[in-house]
Amino acid sequence: MPLILFILRKAGQALATMLAVSLLVFLALEVNVDDVAVKVLGQFSTAEQRAAWLEANGYNAPFLWRYFDWLVSFVSGDWGMSTYYRAPITDLIPDRLAATAWLALGALSLIVPFGLGLGVLAGMRPGSLTDRVVSVLSVVTTSIPDFASAVFLSIVFVFWLGLLPGASTMIGGFSLKELVLPVLVLALYSTGYLARITRASMAEVMATPYIRTARLKGASLPRIVFRHALRNALITPITVILLQVPWLLSGVIVVEVFYAYKGFGTLLYEAAINSDIYLIEACAMVSVLVVVTTQILSDLAYGLLNPRVNLLGAPKPAKGDAA
Amino acid sequence: MIRLVRPYLTHPLVAVGGAVTLLWLVLALFAPLLAPFDPLKTILPLARPLTPAPGGGTLWLGTDMLGRDILSRLIYGARTVVLYSTLATLSAYAVGIALGLSAGYLRGRVDAALSFLANVVLSFPVLVLYIVIIVVIGASPLNIILAVVFSSAPAIFRIVRALTIDIATRDFVQVARTQGEGSLRIMLVDILPNATGPLAVDFCLRLGYTAITIGTLGFLGLGLPPPTPDWGTMVNEGKAMAIAFPHLVIFPCIAISSLMLGLSLLADGLKELSEAKGRGA
Amino acid sequence: MTTQTPSSDTAILTIDGLTVALPRGADRRHAVKGASLDLFPREILCVVGESGSGKSVLSAALMGAVPKGLAIESGRILLQGKDLALASERELTRIRGRDIAMIFQEPMSALNPALTVGEQIEEMFVLHTDLAAEARRARTRALVEAMHLPDPDRILASYPHELSGGQCQRVVIAMALALDPKVLIADEPTTALDVTTQAQVLKLIRELKDSHGHGILFITHDFGVVADIADRIAVMRGGEIVEIGTAQQVLTQPAHDYTRALIAAVPSLTPRAPRAARTAEPVLEISNLEHHYGRTKALNDISLTLRRGEVVSIVGESGSGKSTLAKAAIRLIDPTGGAISVSGTPFLALKGGALRQKRRLIQMVFQDPVGSLNPRRTVGEMIARAAILSGASRAEAIRRAEDLLDLVGLQKSAYHRRPAAFSGGQRQRVGIARALAMHPEVLIADESVSALDVSVQAQVLELLKSLQEKLNLGILFITHDLRVAAQISDEIVVMHKGRIVEKGPAEAVLLAPKDAYTRSLIDAAPGRGSI
Repeated sequence: MPLILFILRKAGQALATMLAVSLLVFLALEVNVDDVAVKVLGQFSTAEQRAAWLEANGYNAPFLWRYFDWLVSFVSGDWGMSTYYRAPITDLIPDRLAATAWLALGALSLIVPFGLGLGVLAGMRPGSLTDRVVSVLSVVTTSIPDFASAVFLSIVFVFWLGLLPGASTMIGGFSLKELVLPVLVLALYSTGYLARITRASMAEVMATPYIRTARLKGASLPRIVFRHALRNALITPITVILLQVPWLLSGVIVVEVFYAYKGFGTLLYEAAINSDIYLIEACAMVSVLVVVTTQILSDLAYGLLNPRVNLLGAPKPAKGDAA
Repeated sequence: MIRLVRPYLTHPLVAVGGAVTLLWLVLALFAPLLAPFDPLKTILPLARPLTPAPGGGTLWLGTDMLGRDILSRLIYGARTVVLYSTLATLSAYAVGIALGLSAGYLRGRVDAALSFLANVVLSFPVLVLYIVIIVVIGASPLNIILAVVFSSAPAIFRIVRALTIDIATRDFVQVARTQGEGSLRIMLVDILPNATGPLAVDFCLRLGYTAITIGTLGFLGLGLPPPTPDWGTMVNEGKAMAIAFPHLVIFPCIAISSLMLGLSLLADGLKELSEAKGRGA
Repeated sequence: MTTQTPSSDTAILTIDGLTVALPRGADRRHAVKGASLDLFPREILCVVGESGSGKSVLSAALMGAVPKGLAIESGRILLQGKDLALASERELTRIRGRDIAMIFQEPMSALNPALTVGEQIEEMFVLHTDLAAEARRARTRALVEAMHLPDPDRILASYPHELSGGQCQRVVIAMALALDPKVLIADEPTTALDVTTQAQVLKLIRELKDSHGHGILFITHDFGVVADIADRIAVMRGGEIVEIGTAQQVLTQPAHDYTRALIAAVPSLTPRAPRAARTAEPVLEISNLEHHYGRTKALNDISLTLRRGEVVSIVGESGSGKSTLAKAAIRLIDPTGGAISVSGTPFLALKGGALRQKRRLIQMVFQDPVGSLNPRRTVGEMIARAAILSGASRAEAIRRAEDLLDLVGLQKSAYHRRPAAFSGGQRQRVGIARALAMHPEVLIADESVSALDVSVQAQVLELLKSLQEKLNLGILFITHDLRVAAQISDEIVVMHKGRIVEKGPAEAVLLAPKDAYTRSLIDAAPGRGSI
């Protein structure tokens, strides 16, 4: 079964990447043990306190040994205590991740239909008015940084129109209204980007000889678009959607901080400004895991959508010239 | 010479994008001459835009909560943004091109190792990577440049590597090999000059994204230490009072968006031109 | 070959004064200018011309599909009394495929990669008939069978990339013939195919004409193909039809100078006159060469000898291993076994710096005149660089480059210009000059004239011949085209599936072939016997 082999191979590559990432993260944050002690015990701890803490927590062992030890406990689910929240990290992350998943899902539910739809409309007839409007819109939306679109949208919807709340703390429980602005900001860039990619892919397909063949067979434009172009033109955009997830993870930090939304992004941010190194390690590993997973899914989607890559192991007709 | 430059100047995207980019470049270069006030001097706290300044002149864009003129801070901020983005992007390009050319042309084990490393770095979401780096090495101008090199060079590496692999299959590279030309010269004379089109496009975009990244770090309070005027930091400082005083944040946001827009248009224009040239040949 | 004018019928397609304008800034104003012709049922009308003659634009205009930027300026295209030049897109959609259909040069890319071959043929019935699914499938299958495709059910379920080029072209033809159109337009339908496949497809097209009575407008650049298939011939140059007449007339008594020049430029299959006894010392000796790509054997026990002042041609179709042989000989790939000696130097044993030093001994002229020159450097720089690499001083290299430009028939001013300023034939001359700048003992020409128009091809061949005599070079000439090989070779080596199937003096191989495959290649050469 080529599919299983394919997944196994990709998973193997992902595992190697994760290992290297873990080494990199551990190296960056824990190679200097004195730094670790200061960060965990605080600026005002004494030298004796630090030395005792290092001794008690096995920090006098050689680096590779410490890394191995850390890796084993990490894999077995012991991610340590957050020094800032004073709680086990494994308790903190799931809720925050779920909160962020809502944001991401909301954003994707806008990005996918609008990005693909506008891109197809524009690429169907390169040079048309629709194409120009969509192209301008996508350049503008992909040029505004997340924090700037958060400012612009808030000023319009909060300050001028007074329609939406300016913060999304969700203190009074889940509120759809508070979700609107963060989702919009998050979706804006990626929608423009996806529309661009889809437009380019669609325009490229529309210029291929086989679309010309379809036209010369007497097929109408709608039929050409739906039957002949879309299946080929959407292969790239669909893989791009999955690869946008890492980008959303970056955006999520800015958006959550801006709207004080209690998600994974603020967790990482607070860990960073409070030098909560174990929490930073865990957050970094989780976000890389998300990225690596989406990469596998994207490769898989490409393989399944492209008839030239035979993932399902359909019997292949043997090549041979006509007699 | 004029004939070479002319298609670039008459292309609408290149003209508009280039003009916007050039505007910020001029503002950055001549900030001391063009800024109406000292960007660090307290004039009048939280003045609205168009308020007349006590000592004469107008506070066109108002002042921040420390009473500093926002327009002057924007103009000086352009210096910071343009200087550090350009330096950082150029350094990242130097690294990315050197490694990408070698991996793409020599292939084999060098390529496998470098590609794996690039994959590892690129599997971090960009901002997560920046935050981890800044937490470890601290926020200073040099460190921000290092962070940009570390996180952008792998992406540039990938582009250069792919271009190199493609160009290396062309016959003129094979010719050079059959003439006994050395690898270094093949990479620098036969391959690199033929990759400049797509790289110029990518450079414009990447320059903009570096500016955005520096801005975003400033916005998160992880950017250049104060009192260096920097657009992202201005938004960070003003965001608590943004509802009452939107001018604190809206102008720096417009500044960074317009710079990025200029660079995007420039990149699009260059791409269209090089594609048109490709078709013409 | 029929020669009578099919005057008994009335024309099914009439082109009357058709003029298609090029966009402003192009090198001429019209892609097609005042073209007029009639197409009758049951005939093949060949439109012949070199690149840029406007023949492809003419064929696209007939389908109402001129490329973007071009526009029909005046003239009529009458299909059964209806003027297609004035038809709306909606009307054209009904007519295309049903009354007038087209087959293309690149069959593989003309088919949609995401749909099976069966779905794509069946679509013709979906678009233009009310047939039920069952009936559609039955007719689709019948069509595929009529194309002599083996195992129709398997073919129908395949995607285009799973078929060979020849099979794809049959599928495209099946699609075009699905609704029995009155007019079939074939735009270079066999150019991308190997000669033996080409011969089969041409035979199929002739059969179909006889059995169905279509009028076929056949666009081609190849006079050999024309001689094989045409009932009538129209010759195009610079957008105008310069001559039109029956095949017999045009081929044997061409009225226009251009037609005469074109026909004269077609290389003949008759070998060049044998030259003096071949006793010079060998400059290239290949013995028992082997090369594997994974499990496939690209080269299998190849041995041959090239002497100073001699031309040996390697002839074969795609996949024969001839290009792999060329690459192995100049060490672009390292063959897995065997030995190569260049002027007595064991070439395969060389490594690193030693190899780089000896590389000047054997040089190559590549197939693609566009891709083989670095677009960023001037012609002079490239030639002089080659001279420097072979040990010349800077001043000497510049002088040598200037002399060589002169020798290959280019002007001195070419030195400071970039490749984009030259035509295909001129670029190939630059490529030859660059190779010669290293003073090689052996020159490999890998399909070096294949991408050129016939008239240019003849000139470059002539140049190669004169250089070879002047400089007493050994030339290994790789080609798929027996006619070209006949013009230049002292000896011909025929390769098939990685093996040498026959080798010997040119006249022996061409006039008295011993191997069955060689015979089939010679039989398949288009236009044999008439040109």
